[in-house]
Amino acid sequence: MAIEFKNVSHTYSEGTPFKYTALSNVSLNIKQGKITAIIGETGSGKSTLVQHLNALLLPNSGEILINDKIIKGGEKPKNLKELRRNVGLVFQFPEYQLFEETILKDVSFGPKNFEMDNIEERAKQALKMVGLDETFFERSPLELSGGQKRRVAIAGILAMDPSVIVLDEPTAGLDPEGAKSMMSLFKKLNTEYDKTIIIVTHDMEHVLSYCDEVVVMSKGIIRLTCDVDSFFKDGNLCRSLGILPPNIVLLKEMLISKGFKLSDTLNINDLCDEIGRQVKSYE
Amino acid sequence: MSNMTLGKYIPLDSIIHKMDPRAKIIAMLLLVTAIFFPSGWLGYGIIGCCIIFTVFLAKLNLKFVLKSMKPMITMMFFLFIINVLVIKSGDVLFTIFNLSVYSDAVFQTLYIIVRLILMIMITTTLTATTKPLDLTLGIEDLLIPLKRFKVPAHEIAMLISIALRFIPDLIDETQRIMKAQASRGVDIQEGKFKEKIMAILSLIVPLFVSALQRAEDLANAMEARGFVPGAKRTRYKVLKMKYYDYILITSSIFLVLLMWFISRFYA
Repeated sequence: MAIEFKNVSHTYSEGTPFKYTALSNVSLNIKQGKITAIIGETGSGKSTLVQHLNALLLPNSGEILINDKIIKGGEKPKNLKELRRNVGLVFQFPEYQLFEETILKDVSFGPKNFEMDNIEERAKQALKMVGLDETFFERSPLELSGGQKRRVAIAGILAMDPSVIVLDEPTAGLDPEGAKSMMSLFKKLNTEYDKTIIIVTHDMEHVLSYCDEVVVMSKGIIRLTCDVDSFFKDGNLCRSLGILPPNIVLLKEMLISKGFKLSDTLNINDLCDEIGRQVKSYE
Repeated sequence: MSNMTLGKYIPLDSIIHKMDPRAKIIAMLLLVTAIFFPSGWLGYGIIGCCIIFTVFLAKLNLKFVLKSMKPMITMMFFLFIINVLVIKSGDVLFTIFNLSVYSDAVFQTLYIIVRLILMIMITTTLTATTKPLDLTLGIEDLLIPLKRFKVPAHEIAMLISIALRFIPDLIDETQRIMKAQASRGVDIQEGKFKEKIMAILSLIVPLFVSALQRAEDLANAMEARGFVPGAKRTRYKVLKMKYYDYILITSSIFLVLLMWFISRFYA
């Protein structure tokens, strides 16, 4: 499923004193089967960008290609249902969208709207994917903890069986442990279920540990797109974009300045091995 | 909903923006009173001209003001239907399905619609030129004389300012939930009746939950900062009337008298 943006611009409240350009001339290619991180400061247009992916927002100009669906600027596309099902969008703090009496019903809401078959099966499977078992099915979503609510909300999107999952800051407001298991879930969805995943995030550690590709945005334009390994190869590229590199990159920089000779690896275990070997040979 | 203009403050630099909110509220009340005099087309023409002049003075776009009428169109349509069914005087204009439409019905409706349009124009001008906070300050000051009759002026003003303050938040919230549910396949425009009910339910339940949550948070925050209802307070901003405020009030009084005169002797 190819996703391509060609010179896409989006302006809010066009023709009023509140006019605000959130995206200007954005061109972008998102690779299938990868986890792509979109990073950038608040107000850089990340949320606006991801809302174009399932046509909640439409471009003022330019063209978006999602699979075989083309959305052109200034045109009102018809028949968005298939696109909305195929690209599952999870908003920031998605727990606020829960409304049904039971968790199972709430997760079934999406598949029901898209008139899919085996709705209950899909809902149950989605709940299991996010790590909620049968004991949760008949409970009210409103009595869960914040992290559990978020899992239910994500299951609500997974039950629609989308091939692309877009998540807007999925770990915001979660404790480090909860954030970690959330990110592992997305990694699992990517490797085991072959979903293309797009994550808006501020956490460079998450980008480094879980993502494959990086898109850096600033003030409505794309500053950089590249793969994670070359992005964090050394701290300078990050710093030039005003981003603090993750701890492991900082550690490597410090070690290299002390005379260590290290490879490009960013894996903590490999790095430990290398350091150990060099310390030993020094002794 | 983002282009909803009703009740939105437009930050511009004009004489109307600078005026004292109390003067503007009094002028609004007077003008609304003036509209209710049955002064015929002549009277409405004069008021209309005055309002357009004010809009012009406030440097507002007339299109913007007229845009705030949009939500009223359905209401006007219903008014028309009810009037056609109820009013049976004047000449018969035409007949459809044994139902005669009388000239008075049409004129009555037109009168009401013109009154509504004028009133919305006045209130839109008021809210577009006055910050919500200034507006509540003005209301509070105007309610102070009523304290003698045990009207809790400050509390009322507080209620209004909190309510006003949450309107944009709730609009944002509504939009966010609508988008979230649209991502789950909700289509408010299309679909069968039952699906539509479900769509509205999927919007209202989360909205209520989050509104109650916000109310609780706000109450806690106020308590944490030691809020005591009815405590004596000083103010950061002290309102002061200037010469143009008096001009506004005087001309509004003059307009009311003029309308009374016209309705009495001409219409």
